[in-house]
Amino acid sequence: MTKEEEKNLKLPLFGIVKLLPFIKPYRWIMLLMIVLGIASSLIDSAYPLFNRYALDHFIGERTLAGAGTFAACYLGILLFQVVDNFVTASLCGRIEMSVNRDLRNAAFSHLQTLSFSYFNQNNVGYIHARVMSDSGKIGLACAWRMMDLVWHGAYILCVCIMMLTVDVRLALMIFALVPVTVVFIIVFQHKFLILHRRVRELNSTITGNFNEGVTGAKSIKTLVVEDRIREDFERDTEEMRATAVRAERTRAFFTSMVSLMSAFALAIVLWKGGQLTLDRLMMIGSLSVFMSYAINLMEPIRMIMQTLSAFVEIQVNIERLTKLLNTQSDVADSPEVIEKYGDTFRPKKENWEELHGDVEFEDVSFQYPDGEELVLEHFSLKVPQGTNVAIVGETGAGKSTLVNLVCRFFEPTQGRVLIDGRDARTRSQLWLHSHIGYVLQTPHLFSGTVRENLCYGKPDATDEEIRHALSLVSADTVVERMDKGLDSQVGESGDLLSTGEKQLLSFARAILADPRILVLDEATSSIDTVTEKRIQEAIATVIKGRTSFVIAHRLSTIVDADVILMVHDGKIIEQGTHRELMKKRGAYYELYTRQYEEMAADLV
Amino acid sequence: METLGKESAAADQMKKRYPTRFSAVLFFLEGSKRFFVLGVLCSMLVSFFDLVNPRIIGYTVDSVLGEEESSLPAFVLAFLDRIGGGAFFRTHLWLISLSVILIALLAALFRFLLHVFLAVGVEKMLKHLRDSVFGHILHLPFSWHAKNHTGDIIQRCTSDVETIRSFLSEQLISLFRIGLLVVLALYFMIGIDPTLTLAAGAFIPIIVGYSVFFHNRIASSFLHADEEEGRLSAIAQENLTGVRVVRAFGREVFEKERFEKQNHDYTMLWINLMRLLSAFWASGDLISGLQLLTVMLLGAYLAVQGSLTAGEYISFVFYNALLSWPVRELGRIISDMSKAGVSIDRVAYILNSEPEPEEPEASEPDLSGDIVFSHVSYRYEGINAGVLEDVSFTVHAGETVGILGGTGSGKSTLMYLLDKLYELPPENGSISIGGVDIRAIKTRYLRSKIGMVLQEPFLFSRTLEENISITQGSLDKNERRSMVRRAAGIASLDRTVRRFAHGYATPVGERGVTLSGGQKQRTAIAQMLVKDPPIMIFDDSLSAVDAQTDAKIRRGLKENLAQSTVILIAHRITTLMQADRILVLDKGRVAEEGTHEQLLAKGGIYARIYELQRQQSE
Repeated sequence: MTKEEEKNLKLPLFGIVKLLPFIKPYRWIMLLMIVLGIASSLIDSAYPLFNRYALDHFIGERTLAGAGTFAACYLGILLFQVVDNFVTASLCGRIEMSVNRDLRNAAFSHLQTLSFSYFNQNNVGYIHARVMSDSGKIGLACAWRMMDLVWHGAYILCVCIMMLTVDVRLALMIFALVPVTVVFIIVFQHKFLILHRRVRELNSTITGNFNEGVTGAKSIKTLVVEDRIREDFERDTEEMRATAVRAERTRAFFTSMVSLMSAFALAIVLWKGGQLTLDRLMMIGSLSVFMSYAINLMEPIRMIMQTLSAFVEIQVNIERLTKLLNTQSDVADSPEVIEKYGDTFRPKKENWEELHGDVEFEDVSFQYPDGEELVLEHFSLKVPQGTNVAIVGETGAGKSTLVNLVCRFFEPTQGRVLIDGRDARTRSQLWLHSHIGYVLQTPHLFSGTVRENLCYGKPDATDEEIRHALSLVSADTVVERMDKGLDSQVGESGDLLSTGEKQLLSFARAILADPRILVLDEATSSIDTVTEKRIQEAIATVIKGRTSFVIAHRLSTIVDADVILMVHDGKIIEQGTHRELMKKRGAYYELYTRQYEEMAADLV
Repeated sequence: METLGKESAAADQMKKRYPTRFSAVLFFLEGSKRFFVLGVLCSMLVSFFDLVNPRIIGYTVDSVLGEEESSLPAFVLAFLDRIGGGAFFRTHLWLISLSVILIALLAALFRFLLHVFLAVGVEKMLKHLRDSVFGHILHLPFSWHAKNHTGDIIQRCTSDVETIRSFLSEQLISLFRIGLLVVLALYFMIGIDPTLTLAAGAFIPIIVGYSVFFHNRIASSFLHADEEEGRLSAIAQENLTGVRVVRAFGREVFEKERFEKQNHDYTMLWINLMRLLSAFWASGDLISGLQLLTVMLLGAYLAVQGSLTAGEYISFVFYNALLSWPVRELGRIISDMSKAGVSIDRVAYILNSEPEPEEPEASEPDLSGDIVFSHVSYRYEGINAGVLEDVSFTVHAGETVGILGGTGSGKSTLMYLLDKLYELPPENGSISIGGVDIRAIKTRYLRSKIGMVLQEPFLFSRTLEENISITQGSLDKNERRSMVRRAAGIASLDRTVRRFAHGYATPVGERGVTLSGGQKQRTAIAQMLVKDPPIMIFDDSLSAVDAQTDAKIRRGLKENLAQSTVILIAHRITTLMQADRILVLDKGRVAEEGTHEQLLAKGGIYARIYELQRQQSE
């Protein structure tokens, strides 16, 4: 869906229909909220009647008789109103947050089942906004906006009825102002929303500019383009200023006009109502009631219009979120597999077989769902248990394709991937994933303690096992240095640790899970030589005795590999051992030589 | 915490530009103050006109529709009586309506102007603030950028600026407007009946006080809720960025449960908070309701006593209703205002940081002479890598010098010092160009004459063409295009770009196409070639380019840049061997120096590396 399409989106009933399953559990308390809300607006519109009574009775007849009853009635209604408002607002808050929570939960668990092509096609920021912000906006709409609509609608209706019962002709004259007001609001609100949208866009542009000015500081200085960058920035802030002022002017214009409309209503009441009073056809009290109704009619109309436009705006969020919820994973287990092995959230571990570690590509052809050409064509490779496969190539050459197939993050377009001689698709994804260890190039830790992170793949690991795993990859010193040992916090995404430390911990995490198949994406970024050496040793330890696929950057890993696959432009162009490939003097030879030069310079 | 410590330490050292919050706010308001003043004036008029109509109504009810004496000021009454008093208006009711509309028109006009003045003022202020902060950031020394976290700076520039905006444009102004409204309304109300005003006014401090108290009490709950939301958001974020880890360890159930638990906690927190808020709103309704009851009963009593007319009663009730909401808002505004102080400090921290010096005495000499490093030592604050120890060497004009060294040997530091990205302290030796110490050369002039290609170049979110020609100001389209093509040709980028659907108009950077490391490096080289500086530095900037392209680029450079002085930092001997002279840097010292042949003959580090690399290629 393009931006333009999203702007002009029109869903039946603002898309609320799509949300019915999420609203349904709360239909009764929602109904209660609506009933209580209507009661509240009914009482609110009745307050001027007390005033009328005071005017006509106490002041008009100059007596205080019945003041006690009057006060008691007023207090009774006031107390009811107070309790009613409290309950309504609490319910509103409850509904908002509950719908919000349910939508978020649904979106989050659905995301756990989606395949990688979804994550490749949508960036993290976009998906995150669907889970966190769309759900919030929808929750708000389902509760408070709905309440606004009901409350103000009921209020307007009550006021109209009251006016009609007091004096039909006068009431009709005031009603004549309503369509004018409505048309007015529609035109200017629309204008305002367009400008406001532009303001929001500019706002994010300016944030982007700040980002560029700060992260690009070194380049800006060495290129001496401060003035240029500054001029461009000031052009954006100038557009922002002009647009924001225009938007505000539009809004100021129509809010002033709405208040003017109230004055028109008041003028009509004074003129025509005054005449009626003079002719003794209307009491002073009724005139006063009429005046307060006339003044208070326009603002609720504006509120309703504003709420309706909020509902129009929310459609985009509803559309995006429901689209996420309706996305089908393109790697899904068949019903038979789920029957036997369970699904993502309810695994039947008792039926799971052991995994030995033989992997075989059998005549595999593969094309990414969003790609244009086959990146693998009739590729066959046997990887017996314990084999170490190195995958090498330039950055962005498509080295992760094979790994994605082994992990069944993607499925072959043609052919089969066999695990222990059986098609991977005949067993559940979770079964396979539970036997795979994965160490990423940019090590990913979760916020929490060191222990929680290490136990990620093996929740029931004992301290002894943890320490053993740590010492195997010589990461024990990392933990020793932290003040609370295994219970130290690692910070958001492990930010409290250095990249090297994160690497070592993620090796320990992988080894603790004791996987049969290991996938390893080596880091390219330069770390200090001591850590580098430790990481190399860690790799050697971790892959020993396991079937491993290593996206390799380090010479030691490459040279010792059982099979090397050289990838270029997404395709495997060379295959063999180090010795064979060096003899060939092809792309691998070229790549290896270049890396060797860098290493040699570091050796001194 | 560390940043805070540094902030205060730095504060002691230098004289701050904006030492107090007040001086900072005054600076923010430069150029926009008059609009705020105009806005405030308009708001006075709005309040006045809003308050006039109820008196007209009162007069109408008393003297036109009834036969009572009105309590309007004497001069107004005198004027009205001259026209004909109540009797005249009884036959000319439309005149009253007209005056109501006129007054309302004036109120609407000034209400419109009020919002427009405020908007103009606020947006002017925001532009001024953003421009100043951004401009200041651009001129802060590189060491400042290296020391402060990007995320933190961005937050100061965006959300703290937003807090200041709402403080100046909403809270401060509302405080003033509501205060004014209350004073004016009370004045009018006293004019009607002092006793009744006292009774109604007694509720105002209760409402405001209660609201301030409540909002201060609940502030920590809001903060807590924000933190919980942050935590929930972080779980989602980590799950999405770590989706491979989650899947590979098969921990979907765990993730789902963790998210749902946090989601539940967060939701319950808000539901409770909402209940508290609802209780607050409802009790506000109760107090307002009691106030209205007091006004009605006491008003009725006074009317029965004969000291209040029906018209006055109606006007009074109108005034009372007019005050009801603004007064209830007041408490929230007062408690919100306390948040602004911290944000003002955080933005002032950026503006108070010392920018790169102005250098009025610095010169702009000819920079085509020899570059001399003399006994240069340097050490970064708190970092042990990239240290230099007594480094001395000369790069002759027009010469190409290669520098070989391992990671952390200090070769980049040398170049940063030459480009004045870091300042070389006076006692740590000197660097001179053509005999002039670079400390005496205008920084920006110096940088404009040095072309530096970084190992990991930064591209701006613009098109390729704009990126390459970013150093060139006004140029006509064709001139720019041919210049960019030529530079891209030498940098071996042209053919790559032709493969892009939009060619040189392809947007790159943050919001555009992601280029590979090698493509970025070649773009940066083209960028430098367009600048055409007398001194060129390649800081390991061919590392991501394959050997053939590397050779091609070097050939192209050699043909085109015979005049320039070139410093070439690289790992690859084949890249370095054609340099006129080669330096080998080891642990911050110059270990070897000479031509390729001399260094080979010497049999030191260079020869060893050469041997290693040569073996490989055979």
